[in-house]
Amino acid sequence: MWRWRRRTDDDFSEEIQANIALDTDRFIAEGMRPEEARLAALRAFGSVTRAQERFYEAGRMIWLDDLRRDVRYAFRTLYKSPGFAAVVVVTLALGIGANTAVFSVINTVALRSLPVERPDELVELLFKFPGDPPLNSYWWKHYEQFRDRNQVFSDLIAVSPARLQVAGKAIQSEIVTGMYVVGTFFDVLGVRPAIGRLIGPQDDRVGSSEVSVAVISWPYWQSRFNGDPGVLGQTLMVTGVPATIIGVTPRGFFGVQLGVDPPVWLPTAMEPLIAEQSQLTAGTLSVALIGRMKPGVSLQQVQAEMRVLDRPRLADMEARFKDPRFRQVRIEASPAGAGLSVIRDRFGSALRVTMAAVAVLLLITCVNVASMLLARGAARRREMAVRVALGAGRFRLVRQVLTESLLLSTIGSLLGVLFAYFGAEALVRFIQSGRSPVGMPQPLEISSDLDLTVLMFAAVAALATGLLFGLAPALGAFVSTPASSLRHIGPAAETRKWRLFGKGLVVAQVALAVVMLGAATLFVRHLSDLRTVGVGFDAEPVLQVRLDRSQSGRTPEQLAPLYRQLWERMTSIPGVHSASLAAMTPISGAGGSLFVDVEGFVEHPDDRRRVRINGVTPGYFETLSTPLIAGRDFEPADAGGPRVAIINQAMARHYFGSGNPLGRQFTFEGQSRPLQIVGVVGDAKYNDLHETPPRTAYMNVLQGDNWNGTFLLRTDVAPTSIVAGVRRVVSDVLPDVPIARVDTLADQVDASILPERMIAMLSMVFGVLAALLVAIGLYGLLAFTVTRRTNEIGVRLALGATASDIRRMVLTDGLRLAGAGLLAGVPIAWLAKGYAASALTAMAATQANAPVTLPVAGVSPLIVASIGLLTVALVASYFPARRATNVDPMVALRCE
Amino acid sequence: MSRQKDEPARIALLQGTLDLLILRTLLFGPQHGQGISRVIEQQSDATLLVDHGSLYPALQRLESRGWLRAAWGTSDNNRKARFYELTKTGRKQLVAETRQWRRLSFAIGRILGPEEA
Repeated sequence: MWRWRRRTDDDFSEEIQANIALDTDRFIAEGMRPEEARLAALRAFGSVTRAQERFYEAGRMIWLDDLRRDVRYAFRTLYKSPGFAAVVVVTLALGIGANTAVFSVINTVALRSLPVERPDELVELLFKFPGDPPLNSYWWKHYEQFRDRNQVFSDLIAVSPARLQVAGKAIQSEIVTGMYVVGTFFDVLGVRPAIGRLIGPQDDRVGSSEVSVAVISWPYWQSRFNGDPGVLGQTLMVTGVPATIIGVTPRGFFGVQLGVDPPVWLPTAMEPLIAEQSQLTAGTLSVALIGRMKPGVSLQQVQAEMRVLDRPRLADMEARFKDPRFRQVRIEASPAGAGLSVIRDRFGSALRVTMAAVAVLLLITCVNVASMLLARGAARRREMAVRVALGAGRFRLVRQVLTESLLLSTIGSLLGVLFAYFGAEALVRFIQSGRSPVGMPQPLEISSDLDLTVLMFAAVAALATGLLFGLAPALGAFVSTPASSLRHIGPAAETRKWRLFGKGLVVAQVALAVVMLGAATLFVRHLSDLRTVGVGFDAEPVLQVRLDRSQSGRTPEQLAPLYRQLWERMTSIPGVHSASLAAMTPISGAGGSLFVDVEGFVEHPDDRRRVRINGVTPGYFETLSTPLIAGRDFEPADAGGPRVAIINQAMARHYFGSGNPLGRQFTFEGQSRPLQIVGVVGDAKYNDLHETPPRTAYMNVLQGDNWNGTFLLRTDVAPTSIVAGVRRVVSDVLPDVPIARVDTLADQVDASILPERMIAMLSMVFGVLAALLVAIGLYGLLAFTVTRRTNEIGVRLALGATASDIRRMVLTDGLRLAGAGLLAGVPIAWLAKGYAASALTAMAATQANAPVTLPVAGVSPLIVASIGLLTVALVASYFPARRATNVDPMVALRCE
Repeated sequence: MSRQKDEPARIALLQGTLDLLILRTLLFGPQHGQGISRVIEQQSDATLLVDHGSLYPALQRLESRGWLRAAWGTSDNNRKARFYELTKTGRKQLVAETRQWRRLSFAIGRILGPEEA
């Protein structure tokens, strides 16, 4: 039947010509001369062009056609000014790229749902000591009670990470972080195997005679077994216990904890076979709990019920640990659709702050690009006027200008996504360099990929940016009045408000930049405070050496004299100032603590707090530059004598008040032999930089026979330069004991404050970028102004103004703009400072018991930022000012 | 415009009525554009004026709606011309539009009243 095919314009023209020919024939037949007849036919037809236009318009979507033309035109315009286009595109790419990169990491860490079924129904159970970060860690026996008694979950599942030694026929023995899971785990999450089957309830029966089973992860299957389906049924040796591989988890599944991608999954029933002393049987295996809520149950209901069910556990724990703080513990139910919250808590607020910073950066970018376009718009105002005069519709012009902006922002965002790809990777690597939360692998296994959400984000950012910075030029096109614009005299009356607008944009940039720099200064200042204020030791010149004695085959008693010899040899390595062996090194995240009894000291049971303990050799305090306040350091002569201890000031104050602790005694709870206090040292932080230094007691390693721990060497040279010497000494004394790790104490400390370092570094980078953009914006505006005022400057010079008068005039102009920006920006910066300070507090709370409150500097960051920006403004104004003085009055006046 | 002043007896066609007249003209067989406009002018005793600027876009519109189909052919005096022909749907459309037009003109006639007024 009827088939529609687009007719070409030519075909239509031909038809019209045919019509005219027919008419001509007719007129000739009626007696006209041929030329006359043709003219008459043309007259009779009317406007050929109009008919063609109507055919053309009827046939297609005009706006699409216009769009194509606008895009082509925009490309051509940009092509003609490549320098301008490049600057704008790179500026936008930085802004959009930074935003996309940070967003993609946030997306990975905090937003993206787990690849499981109905993740929004998943809830994790957290409990929290007052002032501590929340924990999801329960004993197995309590899990069983919760599981059997609750009415709110359709199922409650438990996972427990474990260090496992894995070996197989084709794979070399390696130590990995595997995961024990209950039999219902995969079923509750709704995960289907890639091949084979996953662990089910039938695999999870303690004492069952059936063979043990293991499920391996997709990446492990790919990397160790080359994705061979024949892996099913093979035997994997897990810490000496054979387990049959029954299946592979699907691609992209990493369990419930971001940052951990366990290669091996085992049923909890295997724990008694693998562990030397089963915690499962004892009921004390630590497990993390996740529940799937029954339909219609709310988070509040879960919380209310779990708090009731939790009472027996808390009573049990309090009795066992004699820790009164258990009385204040409450269970909190928290959505777990995006995985367990540890990583989210650790990096969440830092990432949110960073996101806010990059958003401000993007805003500055927009304003900056808008002012660049505006300056160019001034140059193109004649073009616009001509087009309006020739009959272009105003909305049509606006559309064209917006097309140009959107084209710029699209190219910018494409480049930005490229930046983001590398930026996000760098950011993830940086996050991985930090200290992992307890129980998490080192480094964390996080992969940030630019998924659809991220690309959508970039697209929306590009669109919003394009509209935002395109608004001003578009408005310019809209109100363009041909009559006055075409009179090509510089200072036409209507350009005044545009100049004002241009100035406004520079002021806005300054205002935003001061917010940015203010926050950056605050973060940098806080970081340096965190590193230095009240830390109690100096990590900078200290090297740490850890040995791996697990394969040495010697008993601790046999190793002790060798360690002592090693310690003495290390002291004599050239460049080493002093050396010590310590059971615990500061800010390593590990530590021990005990309750202490002091004769004659009575305290309320609720006020009892543990004292941190450490075993160190003589020279420890010198090595860490911790001051000895009273008494003496440990001595080799202590060996074999009565037990001695050194305590810190916090402990001295608590137990002895203003009295003299030297010579007094204390006993660790559960021990009979008292320790005599021989020295008091300054307070030093123990676990974390965010905490107030805890009460601490040090014991002399020389008095015991367990020489284990880390060597600390304070050097007079760069710590890493003596590593070769250390290796030589170790291989001399203990040739069969490899060095597990050599690093600086400063690195260890830095790894613990990664969120703060991240925002300090990023906000500084972005702050400098913002200042740079301000400089460009201000310079551009002033340079333009100077060019425009050449005549005026010429007249001034001719009338006797000196070069310095002129220079001052331009500089004042620039500083006045900067000043206005500061006036507008400082109040906003003040508000932003409050937000930044609260974010820092939140960060500290995720890590420390009783976080120390560092004085978050008052107005000084704002003053520093303001002075910084004024300097930038001065420098940016200087060059246009100098150019202004070079105006030759004669030339300037002749120009007129 | 000036043309209308010179020939006051001629009426420019309303949008929509042209479509109806084209369909009606083609009821008698295929015709080219110039022929269609001549037939309309003759049959209306030269009262209706077909603007070529409207005729061809209208033909195009009807063709794209599937009411007409077109093919290049040769005219009586051996000129190349594009001939239009009614399709089956075009015929149906003609019937429908004719009925609608009759009703409309009847209604308008009743409102306007007798000729003399």
